[in-house]
Amino acid sequence: MIGPQTLVFLLIGASILLILVIVIRPSITVSREGKIITFLALFIVPVITAFVGASQHLERSEQTQFCLSCHIMEPYGRSLYVDDKSYIPAAHFQNHRIPVDKACYTCHTDYAMFGTIHAKMEGLHHVYVYWFGKPMNPIHLYEPYNNRECLHCHSGARSFEENPTHTAMMVELKSNKVSCTTSGCHDTFHPIDKLGQVKFWKPSGQ
Amino acid sequence: MQRKLQVSGILLIIALIIEALSLCWNNTLAFMSFAVVGGLFFVSGILLFLYSLVPSKTTVSNH
Repeated sequence: MIGPQTLVFLLIGASILLILVIVIRPSITVSREGKIITFLALFIVPVITAFVGASQHLERSEQTQFCLSCHIMEPYGRSLYVDDKSYIPAAHFQNHRIPVDKACYTCHTDYAMFGTIHAKMEGLHHVYVYWFGKPMNPIHLYEPYNNRECLHCHSGARSFEENPTHTAMMVELKSNKVSCTTSGCHDTFHPIDKLGQVKFWKPSGQ
Repeated sequence: MQRKLQVSGILLIIALIIEALSLCWNNTLAFMSFAVVGGLFFVSGILLFLYSLVPSKTTVSNH
């Protein structure tokens, strides 16, 4: 089975071959058919190839590996291996409650209309600031964490719905009036300033 | 015109090679190479191609 990345490489290869025809034999552009081939080779096909490449890059930017490639994010990546289940990201990551290869994106995207676009735009802004600006240090969220992101997965789950604490404040939780993360219940996240003091989980085989 | 098409093609080939190379890695450097360096070659190639379509001399018809 050919993967999407292989298809992109094949498309790039085909585009290059088509352009090479024009570069090596520019005289073919004299004929009507040659003009059509030139238009395809030097405009239509490269535009499609660039679009496919860009979408492939944006798709891959959801991966944990991509987020952690910025050195400012490295401690956040390490915090996913903290051996303490009270740390929400670490517990989710280590127990595969979220896709491990998209750990950052799964929790830090917006599960709202145009949320994916919003997340991608913010991601592009982060990359821009990282390379051309001055990234904030320490980094922090733009706005308080919305319960919507937690409830996207937990809402409807038996362990969540049958928990008496959740049941008692379900309306407030769903309307974001009581925060899951800052109301004292689940308020331990990435212990960046304590990484030297905590124990780390070592996955088997590493 | 043919010379411009050749240069446009070379610029586009460089852009596509950068795109292919950038897809070999998954990090912000690869993304930036694709978006900035590849994008620069790509836009230059496309613009040069479009520019080559513009007639170099205005033909005046004498009736």
